[in-house]
Order: sequence, then structure tokens, then C-alpha cells
Amino acid sequence: MSTPLIELADLWKTYDTGEVAVDALRGIDLVVERGDYLAIMGPSGSGKSTLMHIIGCLDSPTRGSYKLDGTEVSTYSSGKLAELRNRFIGFVFQSFNLLPRASLLRNVELPLLYGGVASVERNRRAMQMLDQVSLADRAKHRPSQLSGGQRQRAAIARALVTEPALLLADEPTGNLDQSTGNEVMDIFDALNGIGQTVILVTHDPNVAAHARRVVRIVDGKVATDQARAA
Amino acid sequence: MNLLEVVSDGFADVRAHAGRTALQTLGVVLGVASVVGTMGLMAGERAQSMKYWSETGGVLKMIVYPQPATVVRGTARQQASRGLTVDDVEAIRARIAGFELVEPSVRRRELVQTPRLAKTYTVSGVAPGYAELHELQIGRGRFITDEDVTTSASVCVLGDDRAREFFGTEDPIGKTIRLGDNSFRVAGVLRYREFYWSKADTYNALGWMNEVIIVPITAMQAREVGAGSRRVDEIGFRLASVEAHKDAAPALKRLLLARHGVEDYRIFDRKDRMEQMEQQGKVYDFTFLACGLISLIVGGIVVANILMASFTERMREVGVRKALGAKGWHIGVQFLVESAIVTGLGGAIGLVLGVGFVHAIAYLLDQVAVLTPTMIVAAMLSAGTVGLVFGFFPAIKAARLDPVVALRYE
Repeated sequence: MSTPLIELADLWKTYDTGEVAVDALRGIDLVVERGDYLAIMGPSGSGKSTLMHIIGCLDSPTRGSYKLDGTEVSTYSSGKLAELRNRFIGFVFQSFNLLPRASLLRNVELPLLYGGVASVERNRRAMQMLDQVSLADRAKHRPSQLSGGQRQRAAIARALVTEPALLLADEPTGNLDQSTGNEVMDIFDALNGIGQTVILVTHDPNVAAHARRVVRIVDGKVATDQARAA
Repeated sequence: MNLLEVVSDGFADVRAHAGRTALQTLGVVLGVASVVGTMGLMAGERAQSMKYWSETGGVLKMIVYPQPATVVRGTARQQASRGLTVDDVEAIRARIAGFELVEPSVRRRELVQTPRLAKTYTVSGVAPGYAELHELQIGRGRFITDEDVTTSASVCVLGDDRAREFFGTEDPIGKTIRLGDNSFRVAGVLRYREFYWSKADTYNALGWMNEVIIVPITAMQAREVGAGSRRVDEIGFRLASVEAHKDAAPALKRLLLARHGVEDYRIFDRKDRMEQMEQQGKVYDFTFLACGLISLIVGGIVVANILMASFTERMREVGVRKALGAKGWHIGVQFLVESAIVTGLGGAIGLVLGVGFVHAIAYLLDQVAVLTPTMIVAAMLSAGTVGLVFGFFPAIKAARLDPVVALRYE
């Protein structure tokens, strides 16, 4: 059996707020295999955002082990974490987070720029990704000239342009109406269908229903971890 | 990854925020222009007064005038003092080294009669060195010579205005005028001189040179009898060098006080005066510079304001970029490119604008426009300071920003 993509063992995250130390995560154990389609659910304040930040290498745990692709990364410096984010993780945010003053093409190119890909190659790959989300004809447009669904598709294109091992989506349909949301979810389903590991962080059961496995976080711990019938 | 690419991405980002960058640049432009402008005005003012000093005999000139003593009830010796005399001149020449010229002159009001008019004017009796001392320039003919002095020749030299007044368009050389009871032949006419402190100024600071009537000092002294014949109205000095001032000036004061016993004379020392002016100038310099610096700070506040206004947007952008894999230095370089453009462009435009301002003022006031390397250095320094405060520090802060915090920023 190959190494799991993500392996969390007794993961703690403590925020020192001065007088009181708050434990946001209190011993998380979680294994995510390649090709998994996972939804992380939980009420606000449960620690699911903190967990997402750590899985996404935006933050480091206070204690415990995080193995990404078999490598212990919990003690990595911010610079090395930036490299990991660039190589392994594609983010999709609730509010899209496209750079408002840059064209779609430049937005999608950006991770490749930070990954050190040469200009011509960058352009080719970004155009190819935009084409895959049916936005090739909008490459020169700015995000503000697009609908919410189009923006989120552009954001997905940007997340996938580096061919990351993990697609990490934080409330990806939170700012979209139902039918547009469904379109976006269909994209995730299709991606997972061709082997893309996807983690959704959501409190929306309809979104979680797309995943094949649902992890519920309560009070900084994994409360339930259920596989769903496909 | 390639630094060049990050820099070019920085440029693309600046293009995307052209309005923001333009406003920040404007802030720097205003600051730099005001600093350069005030410095230029200060330098121009200085240059103008330096020009005046050098046109009228330079720093090396000292003059002693008689003046009534302020002592009301003095000693017999004090009361016996009769002001400046030829003996003073000889004593100074004999005992004080360091003066290149020691030139006495005598003045008298005389009725001047020419074929055209009869009017009372002040007539000066001088020796040849007088022209050198005051930088009088001969236009036609010649100045008073040593021979004129020895023979107390009845010759005179006229200022340009006087020559015109007495003889109109005729050539005055060789013609005679009557001074009191005697006839004097016109030997020379001085060149017309003028100096205005500014274009708006109607006062010709060198005007007196056009209005003189000069005769040999001996011819003047001969008109007096007894003790009066030894009296002089002014002793002009030229120091041999600036260094000579240190010893010669105090020695002169000591000698005169010893000889007269009372201060019935007044020493006008150009070097002292210049040092005073230099001091005053410094006060003005600081005032002007303070104004310039305040403008610079205002410019800086403009920059800071725009930085603050776009803070939320920037924070989120930094968060997004970091999430996509940007390292600290990527973000830092991006900020630095922006501030380098703002600083460089703002500094250059500000310098040009400031220089233009100085030239405009100089043109309006008919002064010399002075541009010194200091001004360019000052422009670079002020732009650099603004760039450092509003570019470099935000760049470091942004580079160190925690991506989670930046992404959450609302």
C-alpha cells in the first residue's frame, strides 16, 4: 500500500490569546488517501477552519505530526510551507479571492509564476486550464466582468494549474446560488472521478453529500468519520 | 524562481493599480519639488548678495568713517580728538601690515558751475587707489593719477550720470567745470554701473558710482586751511587676504582707539557684516528648509493615506498570493518595485518641477537661477526617505505577514 497523501497524528493547535490558551485542535488523527473525496464538517468554532489551514500548509500545528506525501512537515519554515502550498495544494475559497485588477489569465498564471515556470509555458498551461473550465474566451477579462459561477470556475482553474495532489475547497458554494453551486460541485465530482484528491470544508450538508467520506469536527476533535455509500 | 520575473510581475501589478500609483507618485513629486524649490530659492538669494559684494569691492573691503563721539563729558584728550586725519592714515600705513590699500578721501559740498547749470554737489577728493578699492571702472579718459595728487592738479573724474547732466551728449573729456572758485578739467568719465536686488526693485545699489565728482585729494585739501586740511572723511581699506583680517582688523581698532582716546569713528567691516549676513542667512535657510520639509511630510502623508486606503485590498491580495505559493521575498519585491517606481518617478519629476520652479521665480525676479549638486542630493534623499518609510517598511511587513491572518482580513 502506498503512503497516504495526508497523515495527521495527535495534532494540536493552541492559540495563546494572552491570559488564556485556547486549544482549537485537540488531538486530531486523520488519514487521507490519494483519490479520496472528503468533506470536513462542523459548527463554527469547532476548529475546522484551523484544521483546513494546517492541512493547507498555511499554518503549523503546535504539537503532533503532519505527514504530507510521507514527509513530516509540521516543523517546516514559512518559506518551505510556501513551496509545499505551491506544489501540493490548490485552494478554492468561498469568496473566490481572484486578484481583482488582474486578468483571468494572469490570475491563473500566478501559481506557476511562483513555481518558477517560464513565461511561455505558463501562458500555455494557464490557457489550457481556462479552456477546461470553459473560460478560454474570457482570458483577458477581469474578475469583476464575470458572474459568480464563472469566477469560481476561474478560481478552480487557478487551483489546478500546478497539478496539485490536493484540491482544498473552503465553502466553495457559499457565495453562489443553488444552481451555480451545483455546477461547481459537478466540477469537483468530475475531478475526483479522474483521481483528484478533494477536501471540502463546509457546513452545508448538500455540499458534503457530494463527498464519499464525511469527517465531523466537534470541539477540536474528530467526532465521526463516515464513509458514504457512493 | 527568477527575480526578474517577480520584478516584472511587480510592474504588471503597478500597471493594474495605475491610479493608486499615480497618486502616490504625486505625493512624492510635491514633497521633492518643494524641497528642491526652497533650496534653489535660498541658493539664488545667496548668489545675488555674493554678486553684490564682489561688484563693490569684495569681502576684503573695510571702511572707517568719522562719527561724533557718544561720550558727553570726556577727558581733555578725548575732547581734543578731531576725528580722522591724514596722520591716522600714515600711522595705519606704517604700523599695520595686512592692508593692501589704505585710501583716505575727503568730501565737500561745492557749488558746481557748468555752461548748463549751477548746483551744489558733494565733491570727493581721492587718490588713485580709490578706484581699485571700490571697483570703479573708467569709461572714457583716465582716473586720478599719482601725478595729479602730487601736483594737486585741477582735474576731475565724473560719474556717468553727472557727465550726462553737465554735458549732455557732448564728449566731456577736456572740458572744464567750476568747483567753487576753481576750474577743473574733466580727465575721465566712469562707466555706467547698475545693480538691482530684484526686477521689481527700482533702487540701483551701485547708483552712487554714477553720481560722483572726483578730484585729487590734494586739490581738495588745499581748499582748507589750518587743522581742517588734515581732516579726512573716510578711510577705505583693502585687506591683502581673507586671512589678514584676523590680525589687521583688531589691530586697526586698537590703533585708532589709542590715537583718538574715544570712539569718534565707526568701522564698517565687510567681513564682519558678511558673517552677520551669513548668520541671518542660516536662519532663513532653516525657515525655508522647514517649509520644504513640511511639504515633504505632507507628500509623505499623501503616500501613506493612499497606502492605508488600499490596505484591506492589499492584505487580502498578500494572503491570496501566499496561499498560491508566494514566499515572503516575492511579496517584498512586489512592494519594493511599487515603491521604487513611486520614489524614482516621483523624485525625478519632483526634481524637474522644483528646478522649473526655481527658474520661473528667478525669471520673474530677474535673479540668477542657481542649481547646486546639493539640491539633487537633497531631492534624492527626500524621495528616498519617503520611499523607505512608505515603501520599504510596508514591504517588510507584507513579506512577513501570516497568510492566515492576511486571508481573513476584512
